[in-house]
Amino acid sequence: MVSPEAKAKAAAGAPAIDAGSAEETVSCRWPLLVLFLGAAGWLVAGSLLGLLASIKFHSPMFLAEPAWLTYGRVKAASAALLVYGFCVPTALGVGLWLMSRLGRVALAGPVLAGFGGGLLHAGVAVGLVGVVRGDGTGFLHLEFPAGAAGLVFLGYLLLGTVGVLTLYRRREARMEAAQWFVLAGLFWFGWIYSTANLCLLVFPVRGVAQAAINYWHTGNLLGVWMGLMGLGTVFALLPRLAGREPGREYVAMFVFWVLLLFGSWTGIPATAPLPAWMPALSTVGTVLSGLGVLGVAVIVHQTLAGRYGSVWRDERLRFLGLGVAAYVVGGVMQVVEALSGRSWMLHFTWFTAAREWMQVYGYLALVMFGTVYAIVPALVGVDWWSRRFLRLHFWLAGAGLLFVAAPLAAGGVVEAARLLNPALGFVEVSRGTLMFLRLSTIGELLILAGNGLFFVNLAGTVAGICRRALADALRRWGAETTGEGAAA
Amino acid sequence: MSVEMRRPAQPATEGREEPTPQGAVPMWLFILLFVALFWGMNYFDRHGAWFNGRVYAPYRSLAELQMHQPPTGGINLERGRAVYESVCALCHGVDGKGKPGQAPPLAGAEWVLGPVNRLVRIPLAGLTGPIEVNGQQWNLAMPAMGAALSDEDLAAVLSYMRTSWGNKGTEVTAEQVGAVRKEIGNRTQPFTAAELLTVQ
Amino acid sequence: MRHGALVYLGAFFALALSWTGFVLTPQMQVGQMVATNTVPAGARYPVARPGLAQQGLQVYRANGCAYCHSQQVWQQGTVFDVMLTDGGTNQPGVVAALQAVMPRLSRPEALQLLEGLPKPVLRGVSREEAESAVKKLTTSGAKATLWIEAVGPDLARGWGKRRSVPEDFLYDYPVLLGAQRVGPDLADVGVRQPDVGWHLRHLYAPASVVTGSVMPGYPYLFEKRRVVGAGSADALALSGDHAPEVGYEVVPKPEAKALAAYLVSLRADAPLFTAPFSVGASGGPAAPATNAAPTAGGGVP
Repeated sequence: MVSPEAKAKAAAGAPAIDAGSAEETVSCRWPLLVLFLGAAGWLVAGSLLGLLASIKFHSPMFLAEPAWLTYGRVKAASAALLVYGFCVPTALGVGLWLMSRLGRVALAGPVLAGFGGGLLHAGVAVGLVGVVRGDGTGFLHLEFPAGAAGLVFLGYLLLGTVGVLTLYRRREARMEAAQWFVLAGLFWFGWIYSTANLCLLVFPVRGVAQAAINYWHTGNLLGVWMGLMGLGTVFALLPRLAGREPGREYVAMFVFWVLLLFGSWTGIPATAPLPAWMPALSTVGTVLSGLGVLGVAVIVHQTLAGRYGSVWRDERLRFLGLGVAAYVVGGVMQVVEALSGRSWMLHFTWFTAAREWMQVYGYLALVMFGTVYAIVPALVGVDWWSRRFLRLHFWLAGAGLLFVAAPLAAGGVVEAARLLNPALGFVEVSRGTLMFLRLSTIGELLILAGNGLFFVNLAGTVAGICRRALADALRRWGAETTGEGAAA
Repeated sequence: MSVEMRRPAQPATEGREEPTPQGAVPMWLFILLFVALFWGMNYFDRHGAWFNGRVYAPYRSLAELQMHQPPTGGINLERGRAVYESVCALCHGVDGKGKPGQAPPLAGAEWVLGPVNRLVRIPLAGLTGPIEVNGQQWNLAMPAMGAALSDEDLAAVLSYMRTSWGNKGTEVTAEQVGAVRKEIGNRTQPFTAAELLTVQ
Repeated sequence: MRHGALVYLGAFFALALSWTGFVLTPQMQVGQMVATNTVPAGARYPVARPGLAQQGLQVYRANGCAYCHSQQVWQQGTVFDVMLTDGGTNQPGVVAALQAVMPRLSRPEALQLLEGLPKPVLRGVSREEAESAVKKLTTSGAKATLWIEAVGPDLARGWGKRRSVPEDFLYDYPVLLGAQRVGPDLADVGVRQPDVGWHLRHLYAPASVVTGSVMPGYPYLFEKRRVVGAGSADALALSGDHAPEVGYEVVPKPEAKALAAYLVSLRADAPLFTAPFSVGASGGPAAPATNAAPTAGGGVP
């Protein structure tokens, strides 16, 4: 039960996540910092490449000469860096932290986890080089060539094993919602990533079966896995940061099962050259998983009813709140897109891009930002290097998301309507979307700036504690030598 | 003051402020789930073709797909073209213009546009000896390229020849081909131009 | 939920269900597919792409073309038409038959219909109506056939004659269906634009052949070099701002030629059992319907 004093404090100021036992903190510290710092770096690189790709719409021959900067490769690299460079390491790191703290036990194998994080980042680096060199696979959200994918998978395997072991060693048998979500997430990624890479890159299947498996992987990665990992941390942190006592968890159970059973069937568009039952099942799955999205809205409302003011005042909860709102909006967009598949066909337009932005950046990235901002001070024992950067990041991220998602969604709807008219030439329709693209480029610039602030802030904080640790070590060494000198 | 990441204690059962117990699934969400499931089953029933692997949208069933197949039977010029390009075009050319020293032209040739019974005999038994085609003299030997074809296929390819490259002839039916086959019996000796001219 | 094992088993069951549906069953249904025949010509389909076009597919993949171009055409429905191919000699009889088939047709309109054959005279009717109309017209002395037409916004735009089907991609690795149409759909581009030279010029400088195009150019697939003697036979015929300076020519590298060969091999115009439509010997695709580059005329340099 949260004490009345704590409630009052929560209402008044921004509570910090407590440091927990020293053992838990120390075990989590370095693996998580490796994961988060690398992820922040990849995020900046990915946003930079994404901005470059976006600029090429307005000036097609801009940097067209070097092969490694052509639009197709840069776009592929930026998408891969956002998902595998940022989202995967951060979500895994946060998941490990949740298993440790909620289970009230130290991380089982921090060295292994750190090594896993290193492998993950190495895989992303190798994959990035591969994609810009022209070895990209061409499959959406599976761009890394087989070798890099193997490294990423090995890194995940180590981190996932540590996570599951930590859960196994938990102090209390009863699990709370966040733990089910993260456990399912750790399991889910392994199966979908290994199957997709094996069936597409290592032992390729024949013909459009490749496309079916690619769609399945994307739907499960973006819909289910990101949903599980992000919602896990939301369900753990949101009530606690709002000073609210979490109640019974039936809605969380509802969301969990709807997400797993129906969310795993999304991803196959109505136009796909596949037997008719596949897009039909996919549409049904998408609509049903929309109910899970509604369930999340219900939970958030139940948790935060009457506390929206305190959510707004807390600088980290803002990220979580905006992230959850983006989750709901993204879910609604996905349902609309699926239902449009037989008539007005939103699928190939900018609306799809807007929906992916909303689901990957708007939801998962923002939730991860909020969580990282909340837990790193507890991990390292000092506050953030710059609280102003933290505040600024929120505004840049929010404005960036608005400027990217809204114009692209509107542009997509306009494009879909115009494409239905065969008398309108394609170039004409395409040029009609340029105005929306200009706005989205501005949005990407804002997002890049925000990501840069995040990286600098994190790097500064880590550099601060490294410097302090170095100074401590030097002082100790100095004391030892002078002590020895005195003794001698 | 820090918020502890403690296990939440069981909520107290008395003195609740909210009317709906926190964390319980609202009834409307369940109802919505069942409505959505019902809609989903209907949608799949209409559009799913019950897992048939050969039915692609917009067809909704194998029966609907079969109903949309083009009519079979009758002379099929598409088939004729397919057979022509795999059997005859090697010598007579895809454009029917023939190749000097290999095969005479078929475009505008009097032998192609003349009596059907004359034309059908040529692929069935072959042609040998001197023959005049479009004012040119040819003296080659054509094997019985049509002997292995079915009546329908031979009729299709001959119809294709008589209606392509500017030729304005009539189609040849499978019955006509069958009748000529019966007339010549087991003949393996290729025809000569003189013999063909006696046929009407 | 109390036990981790229960959560794990539940997740396993849910993912296994999804895996069975979208990984195992596609592998059984379309992953074991073999070549089929066109309908009704019975030609084999698909025929594998020529080697240069297969190399071109790898260039397509390496340069991320699938991020802007889709290769899947969709179809909203199939309609029955009546195609009149020959007016015959009995004009009054044929006009009477036409008026019987289309009650509101006036005599001058019927006479106009008999010009410029072959053309469809009845569109979007049911199969029974179309067949009875064909019978009426044939008995009156004209030649008419039942015509099956695939319809949809993509098809109306000229992006294909029918929807894309799994058979179109049977021998391809990787199958890059694309997810966005920043540029037009390419499933049938080899039929729309069979000229390899156009594709090469478009790859070098898209704005030179399509005004207002947002597509980036790929100059690194080409080589600008000094003209030696009469110049290379492969040199691109560029004009205006995009032409190289005097004394220089732009020559495609092997990757560009391969990519152009691949683009020209992309066809979705073979009628199949799973995607039927009528095609005439005069107005249809070259048979045997193939995904290979056309052999007559626009060959790859």
